[in-house]
Parts: sequence; C-alpha cells; structure tokens
Amino acid sequence: MLFRSETPNLWTLLAPPTVWALHFLFCYVAGAIICAKAPEALDELRLAIAAATILALVFIVVAGMQAHRHWGFGSDMPPHDTPTDEDQQHFLGLATMLLCALSAVAVIFGAMPALFIAECMR
Amino acid sequence: MTPREETDTERGRREEAELRRVWAYSSGWRYAANVNNQIVGLWYTCTAFVFFLFAGVLALIMRMQLAVPNNDLVSAGTYNQLYTLHGTMMMFLFAVPIFEAVAILVLPQMLAARDLPFPRLSAFGFWCFLIGGVFVGGSIFFDAAPDSGWFMYPPLATDTTQTGIGADIWLLGLSFIEVASIAAAVELIVGVLKCRPPGMRINLMPLYCWYVLVVGGMILFAFPPLIAGDILFEMQRLFDWPFFDVARGGDPVLWQHLFWIFGHPEVYIIFLPSIALLAMIVPTFARRPILGYGWIVLAAVGTGFLSFGLWAHHMFTIGLPALSIGFFSAASEAVAIPTGVQIFVFVATLLAGRVIFAIPMLFATGALAIFVFGGLTGVMVALAPFDWQAHDSYFVVAHLHYTLIGGMFFPLVAGVHYFYPFIIGRMLSDRLGRWSFWLMFCGFNIAFLPMHITGLRGMPRRVFTYPEGLGWDGLNLVSTAGAFTMAAGIGLLVFDVLRPGKPRAPQNPWNAGTLEWVAGDPSEPWGIRSVPPVSSRYPLWDQKNLMRDIGAGRFFLPGAPEGKRETLITDVLDATPQQVLRVPGDSFLPLLAAGFIGGSFIASTFHWWIAAIVSGVIGIGVIMVWLWTATAVIPSRPSKDAGMGVTLPLYASGSASVGWWAMFITMVGDGTAFLSLIFAYFYYWTIQNAFPPAGMAPPDGPLMLAGSAATLLAWLAVLGARRANSAGYPDMVRIALTASTLLALAGGALLLLAPWRAGLHPTAHVYPAIVWVVAIWTALHLAVGMLMLGYCLAGSLAGRLSREHDIDLRNVVLYWHFAALTMATTLVVLALAPLAT
Amino acid sequence: MLLGACSGPQSALDPAGREASEVALLFWVMLVGAAIIWLVVIGAAMFGGKWQKQPLSERAGLRIVLYGGAVIPTIVLAALLVFGLRLMPMLRAGEPELRITMSGEQYWWRVTYAAPDGSKVESANELRLPAGRAAEITLDSVDVIHSFWIPSLAGKMDMIPGRTNRLVLHPERTGIYRGVCAEFCGRSHAFMAFPVVVMEPAAFEAWLAREAAPALSKADNGAFLANGCGGCHTVRGTQATGSIGPDLTHFADRQSIGAGILPNTPDNRRRFIAETETLKPGVRMPSFGALPPAELGAIAAYLGSLE
Repeated sequence: MLFRSETPNLWTLLAPPTVWALHFLFCYVAGAIICAKAPEALDELRLAIAAATILALVFIVVAGMQAHRHWGFGSDMPPHDTPTDEDQQHFLGLATMLLCALSAVAVIFGAMPALFIAECMR
Repeated sequence: MTPREETDTERGRREEAELRRVWAYSSGWRYAANVNNQIVGLWYTCTAFVFFLFAGVLALIMRMQLAVPNNDLVSAGTYNQLYTLHGTMMMFLFAVPIFEAVAILVLPQMLAARDLPFPRLSAFGFWCFLIGGVFVGGSIFFDAAPDSGWFMYPPLATDTTQTGIGADIWLLGLSFIEVASIAAAVELIVGVLKCRPPGMRINLMPLYCWYVLVVGGMILFAFPPLIAGDILFEMQRLFDWPFFDVARGGDPVLWQHLFWIFGHPEVYIIFLPSIALLAMIVPTFARRPILGYGWIVLAAVGTGFLSFGLWAHHMFTIGLPALSIGFFSAASEAVAIPTGVQIFVFVATLLAGRVIFAIPMLFATGALAIFVFGGLTGVMVALAPFDWQAHDSYFVVAHLHYTLIGGMFFPLVAGVHYFYPFIIGRMLSDRLGRWSFWLMFCGFNIAFLPMHITGLRGMPRRVFTYPEGLGWDGLNLVSTAGAFTMAAGIGLLVFDVLRPGKPRAPQNPWNAGTLEWVAGDPSEPWGIRSVPPVSSRYPLWDQKNLMRDIGAGRFFLPGAPEGKRETLITDVLDATPQQVLRVPGDSFLPLLAAGFIGGSFIASTFHWWIAAIVSGVIGIGVIMVWLWTATAVIPSRPSKDAGMGVTLPLYASGSASVGWWAMFITMVGDGTAFLSLIFAYFYYWTIQNAFPPAGMAPPDGPLMLAGSAATLLAWLAVLGARRANSAGYPDMVRIALTASTLLALAGGALLLLAPWRAGLHPTAHVYPAIVWVVAIWTALHLAVGMLMLGYCLAGSLAGRLSREHDIDLRNVVLYWHFAALTMATTLVVLALAPLAT
Repeated sequence: MLLGACSGPQSALDPAGREASEVALLFWVMLVGAAIIWLVVIGAAMFGGKWQKQPLSERAGLRIVLYGGAVIPTIVLAALLVFGLRLMPMLRAGEPELRITMSGEQYWWRVTYAAPDGSKVESANELRLPAGRAAEITLDSVDVIHSFWIPSLAGKMDMIPGRTNRLVLHPERTGIYRGVCAEFCGRSHAFMAFPVVVMEPAAFEAWLAREAAPALSKADNGAFLANGCGGCHTVRGTQATGSIGPDLTHFADRQSIGAGILPNTPDNRRRFIAETETLKPGVRMPSFGALPPAELGAIAAYLGSLE
C-alpha cells in the first residue's frame, strides 16, 4: 500500500517539496494581487511572506526530523541497497531528508526577494 | 498408458512455444495492428528521429540564409515558417515524444515486464503522434506552416489576417499530440509503480525508473495548462472570444503565463529522461553501482518540483513587478542546486569506478561538457538584470541549444549506441561512432559558442536577415559552418544505424547490471522468458546465474498455457506480487480511434464542422468498442499459478487495479487543466477593476444552485450504485445509474442555462467568454460522466458488472468524485466569487 | 583584441549607459566564475573517466557529491542571487529629467518627447538623448507585442498592447547607437530598428527646440500632397496631418529611413518610396514605384528638404 503509518512512503517523500510549492505559490499570488490592486499594502505583504516562510521552515524541519528518524539517525550509511524493509526505510528516510534540505534552501531563496525589494516598481 | 512426467527440456520447449505464439508480432497487412511495446516503441523512436532530421534540415536552411548579411535565399515569410516549425517540431515532435518512445521501448525490459499495463494505449498514443506530427510538419510544403514562433504570442498569433491557417494547425495539431503525451505519462507512471518484478523494492529500482516516474508526474501538471491555453487561443481564433484582445478586456500576457507554466517544466521534461539514460550508462562503464543513489532521487524529485517555479523567467521583460521577478529569479537559481547534484553524482561515480571509455561514454562526457556550459549560462540569465540584455537575443538561442543538445541530444545518442545492441541485436561501429562524435561535438561548439557573442553584440533572435557592419557577419558565417559540420556527424550516425552488415551483438555486450540486458535475441517477442525475483539494484552483477535461470524459465510466468498475454502486477513500495494482469493483444482499434479523433481535429482546422463532428463521434464509438471488448475482461477462473509456488488473482478492482490508478492519474491531469482555466478567471479578475465588469451580471444564481444540486445528487446516486452493487442488488444498481444519468443531464443543462439567462455573450467581453468556457468545460465533464454511467448500465445488463467484477463501476465512481469537485468549484467561482467582490 | 571583438553600435559589451555598464561588468565576472567551474567539473569527469589509476572510496565520492554538488553551489548561488536582487531596484531607479513615450507599431516607432514647457513633440524612428541625464521612456504598443532594446544603454523592455511599461535610461557617453525590436512582431520584424543619438545636454536642448518647431522646408510639396502622403504622414506646418504613419516634420535631420534600415540619402529616400514592399515586406505603406520618375524625385527631394 501507499499509505502506512510510522514508516516513510512516497507521500512523505513528496511532502517537503510540496511545502516549498505552497510557499512559492503564496508568495507569487499574494505579490501579484497586492502589486496589481493595493501596492500600498506591500509592507504588510512582506511581513506575511516572512510569517509564511517561518511556517514553511517549521514544517520542513519537522518533516526532516521525522525523516532523520526513518533514516535510523545516521546509523546506517548509503547505499541502502539490500532487499529489506530496513534498507527501504533508511533509503526513503535519507532521500526525504535531502529533499527537506533542498526545500528549505529553496524556501529561503524564495523569501529573499521580499527582503531586498521594497517596491512594486515595474 | 499413464502420462509420462515432462522433462525440463520438454517443459522449456513447450513454454517457449506457448509464449512465442501468444506474443507473436503481427505481420503482413496486420503489421499496423501491433501493440506490443517492442514494436510500438521502435515505431515511436524512429518516427521521432525522422521528425528530428526534418527539423534539422529546416535549421540548416536557416543557417544558410543567415550565413551572410542581407541574404535573400529565403523570404521573410518562409524564414518565419522555418524557424517556427524548427522549434515546434524539435520540442513537440522530437524532444518530448522521444522520451515516451524510449521509455516504452526499454522500461518494460528494465522491469522484466512483458509489456506496459495498457499496450493499446501506447499504440493509440503513437498513432496520434504520427498523425498530428505529419499534419503539423507537412504544412510547410503547402506554405501553410505556423509562422509566429514556437510560443505563438498573441495578439500577433491570434490575428487571423496576419497569421493564416498555420496557427490553427499548430494549435489543433499539437493539442492532439499533447493528449497522446498525457496518455503516455499515465501509462509510464502506472508501469513504474505497478509492473516491477517481485522484490524490486522502491530502493532497488533502476534510476531510469525514478526519472520516468518524476517526468510522468511533471507531464501531468505541465501539459494541462497548455491545453487550457490552447482552448482559449483557439476559441479566439475560431469564434472571436476575446481572451487576448485588449479592447474587450482580454490580455495577451495570460497566454504567456499559461504557455510558460507548461514551457519551463517542459525543458526539464526533456532533460531528465536523457539524464536518466546517463544514469544507466555511467555505472555500466564505471563498472560499479551509481554512487549516491539517494542523491539522484533527491535531484530528480527536487528538479521536478522546482521546475514549476521558473516559468516567469521567460517573461522578465514584460514589465512584471520587481518583486515577482525576484521570486522567479530565486527559484531559477535554486533549481541549479539539484542539477548540480545530478552532475556531481556522475562525476563521483566516474572517480570511484574503473572506467571503460567506450563510445557511449564518449557521448556522455561530451554531453556533460556541453550541458554544464549551458547550465552555467542558465544561472546567468536567471539573474533578471543580465536577462534583460540577453533575453530574445542570440545569447539565449545559444544557451537553450547548449542545454538541450548537451542535456538531451548527446545523452540520447549515447543511449542509441548503448541500447542499439539490445534493441536491434547488432553493434554500431566504434570507428564511425568516434568520427561522428567529434564531428558533432566540434560542429556544435563552432555553431553555437559564437552565438553567445553575437547575441551580446545585439543580434535579436528570429530575424530573417541582418545588416552588415554591426559585427555579426563573421560570427554568423562561422556558426553556419559549424551547423553543417554537426549535420555531417549526424549523417554519419544515421548511416551507421541504417547500414547493413553490422556484427551481431553478444548477450549483454557492455556487461551491464540491469535487467533489460537479459534480452538476448530481440527477435523473441516475449520480452523476458520468466520474471525473476529481484534482490539487488544490479541483479545481473549480484544475483548468481540469473541470466541462465531466467532463460530456463525457473521464475514467474514461465509460459502461457491459457494462450493469454500476461504480465505481473506488484505492490508500489515493496513489489510483492499482487495480480497476474492479462493485457489485450494486437488490434486495429487504436489506429482507427486515433485516425478518427485526429480527423476531427484536422477537420476543425479547416472549419469543416460537420466532418469534424462526424469523425469525432465515430472516434468515440471506436474507443467504446475498444473498451468494451478489451478491458476489464472477466477471467474464466479467479486465480492462477504464477510460478514459484505463488497463486495470484487474475482480476483486481478499485485501488488494487491498474485501471483505477490510470483513472486517478488522468483525472489529476484533467483537474490541472481545469485549475488553469480557473487561474485564467482570477487572472482577469486581478487585472480588471471590476469583474464582472459594470453592466454585466454573473450567471443566474438560482440556476447555478439548482444545477449544482442536481450534480450533487447524481454523484450521490453513483455512490449508491456502488454500494448497491457491493451488497448484490443489481436492480438497485440499474435504477441508481439511470437516476444518476438523468440528474447529470439536468445538472449540465441547468449549468449552461445559467450564463445564457444572464444574457452573457461570449464575444462581447472577456468576462462572459471565460464564464462560458468554465461552464462548458464542466458540462462536458458531466456529459462524459453520463457516457460512463451508460457504459456501466450496459455492462450491468450484459452481465459484465457483478459484486466481484466491478472495476468499471469503481473507476466511474472515481471519475465522479472529480466531476463533482469540478462542479463545486465552478459554482464557487462563477456564482459566489462575484458576490464577494 | 577581446574588447575589439565585443564592440559595435549595438553591443551590450560596449556599454554607453549606466545599466549596460553594470550588466557588462556582471557578465564578465560571471563568465570568469563560470569558466572556473566548468574547468573543475569537466576536468574531474575527464580525470575520473580517462586518467585516474586508483578509484576513490565510496565515502570520498559521497563527500564530493555533498560539497561539490550541494554545499558549494548553494553558497555561490545564494551570493549571486543576493547580488542580483540588490542590483535590480538600483538599475532602474532615479528621478528622470526627461520623459519620452515610445510606441511600437508594425514596424516602426512613434516617439513623443515631453518638451520642457510641457508640450508634446512628436517624432519617429529615432531617439535622441542627452548624455548624463536620466530619461524615462514610457513604452506601449498599438498592435502586437514589440520589445524596446538599446543594448549599448540598457536591457530590453516589452511593448505590450493594453499595458504601459517604463524604463529609465542613463546614457553616459555621446555617440550614435542602434536600438532594435527584440520581440518577434511579424513579417518585417528584422526591419524594425532605430538610431539612438546621445548628445551633449546643451546640443540636445537646442535640437529639441528645433524639433518642436514646424517644418521649415521651402521645397515644393505638391507631389507629396497630390499622391496622398499627407493622409498618413504629418509634416507640421503643412496640410499633411495624417497620423497612421511616422511623423516626417524634420525628416532630413534623421540618420536613417524605414525605421533604421537604410542610411538617409537622396537615393535611398527615392528607393524607399518606390520599393516599399520589397524593402519592408508586410508594411502598411504601399509601394509608389508606378509613379513617374519625376514625381518620385520631387517627393524624395521634398523629404530631403525637411530639416
């Protein structure tokens, strides 16, 4: 089955980049609407993006901690290539953890424009 | 006389004979009826290559025209058709289809599956591709090719006086092919998830499968926005609905969004499958497992996601707010990280291996050299200030060719050299390979390296000629010389592929570790003699005597005693065997279906409405016959001995069946297209002060509510039908299905009545136009839902639907979940959103 | 030698404006960085593929992936991103001292200067700017999408129907440069360019005052008016008041004809009138090649007198 409690699966693998996608979508959509309809609210928007960024990072860190547990807290290094439940779980844990790191970097990158750009200027 | 015990040799002969008979290729006049992946994959690959060569010739004509300033070899009109068709064909008729083609060809072999789960769907996809491709490509011989660039920006491309029928050919021909691409994606995703050999857990899959999975998922989310865009575009061209007409509230920039939401992921849809080939080739020649398997999964999944956050970097110059530019610039930089990981996994694998530098490795290294360069210029253009200079100049032309030729074409040629022995059974020449590599590699760099400078010295792309004295003359001449050098290398490759008398290939000539190399003699149609249990990422390296035991039929499904084509279905994560799937055999139905559906598209291009409708209806009829005769067939007994002492069911329904997964995946794609239309609605809402604009009323509220209520009841009735079926009340099932059909009819009719009652004329303004498109989309889904209900009803009356055999009904229920969701969204957007503003 | 290969009136690597200079510098820096990265990566691949004797251990390989593939690129890209984001608002800021509207039409440019007294001065197919002063260019289009690009001064900005974009140019060096349409706009997209003359501020002001005045020609405009040229073109101070085509009031002052495609010489003026469709396929102006040579000559001569 695809869903299983307590063990990683393809959905837990996809969770961290999905958090990135939602964060990105929020930043873009909110930015586009504010700049089109209410440019004076840009400062509030930047605060909202900061909040969304912290929220996204918290999600990713939690997912990362869970993945770290699935990985066996680093007890077993790659390649994770034996046909056992344990290796399958360690592999998924490691891959999820790496995706958490990438997603976190991408979320931070995605928030940087709001840090440096203070106007809607075209 | 007592029956004598069969010896191993006799058993082997009997099984081989059974398999050979069941999987035999159709030949003679029935050749076009083949649906087996080995044949369809080969057709697909060859067709895509022919389109590649055609588009390459167009490029050579362009290079001749640009060789000297003020040239008049071709006119502006012809040149515009040449470059549009070159881009269009390379992207839509070569780069994306070749992924599907190669995957159809090698994936089942890699998974030790006899075929993909829906062989006729593959064949249908191929025929759609062939018909659509010939239609689009052939248009240039009638001076009717599209001529406004492969991204077709309105308002130029929507202007029917400036752009002729070529634009319609582009839109309708490619929409038709896009549908085929989505079909292939569905097929390949289900194939990777459900058709692996027993024991090939998710952590043991060949890396190629990971990429196919990711790319399949990307197609599902990337192509639908373009289909939505195509619908809007074609409605404007055919019926003057003003989606991109500024005077009536439209906006040409919406097309750019929809096109690039597709267009940028597409670049990665092209790139990842080719990198996947490298991920198979590099370990083989490094003679060690890939180093950093988990990292590759990170890279593939990460790239798949991030590539959806880059689309507006093609629009940095349209005057987006600086903040928006920043978001896309950030994501464009971020995507370089997983790509870098990908490259370094290969580098590290080479460093940790004992490398044999054979021809595929030569091309792989060349690919790396070119692609890394293209990636680095990509990092440059991701910075908006630099992009403002480079955009739409020859710098970008150079950049995109570096990424696509380095990231896609060179790996593909490496793949041709690598896989040729297993597909054709012969070896390509080393000597010719070396020559063709150096010609291609040098030619490519001579052609495209100078273009970076040409572009920064101000030469815009898409100009059919240029004045002398701007410093572009010499650079262009060099580029032209390079292009012809590269063409010579490609010519040499084609010659080598086609020339007779090449030596026979031994089994597994490269000593690779993955299962596709079990196939010794490609003339055996069965794919694999018996399906082995797998316990390693490189079974041929790690599992002793595997090749011999597979050949001796010691594993699963060694024969075909019932005379049916069978393949194994396993669990998504652990790959424990779940079912023996019987796949349909050769048939002309996919060809006929593609022919008639394609006919409908082609007739629409020429505004032959009656022919279009007739052809479309016949096409749907053919599909119905196909579904009725070849899907969800009830087996004569519930289970069979699959070999190795395992008995497996022959029938599965609900989420255990491949059909349910295919429906689910298709509806995800369908939902994405719908969301793209909703995106369009809210996009207009953002740019307009009032939406609906003054003087226009939203669709009639009570009618919308009544239509939604009817649809909701129809959905509940479908759920009731499923419940009644599980409880074993066939009469109740029929009543519920009939009720549901009638309710759906009422729901669709009321929904269409709502904007009509509000007096909304789609040509008057963009508001009514987008309202109508959303309403019609939803109504069409209800109509398709009715067709499905009718199909189930017919199945019930014909005794095909029973308590145990309910796959059709379960799939239709799944469809209706999505249809009901679509209706609910339509209600919220069309009726409630105007109240909020 | 290298710089020689990059020069030209339309080269982004031969900058004459603030934005173009910043971006050219950015390019050279990035190019050096890219060259180093390329050499390291491809060198490592070649070394591993061809020359290495002792294979690396799994652990060492994973370390290469971690640092080479993930950590270092993240740091480099983050630095680049911060640099790019900070550069962006800087480049196009500045209080403009001059406002100009450029409108793209298939396949030419309508140019409107806001004179110091607030009046509008219409011109076409040539842009003049004072060096050292910020000029705000407002960009729009009446038909299809065009894109306004003067590589020597700054990056490009699209001209989109229904939208108004804004670009601030800071020309720094006097000279004659070339601008061009960068977004494919139809048949004669290749023939949609314009000269950009960056002048000393005083000379520019004098020029703008002259440009604002009506035409001064003493030549006979009979042939010009008789053939209906005035239906599409304006020559201020005469009966020619059409607004479909480019304004021709001070035509003889311009560097080029046909939107940057031919030098403005007597011969070319005549040729353009006679062979319009050949020189510029798809253009809205009909070819007047059927006119008697004398009339052609008279029109060309009249245009040549519009100083």
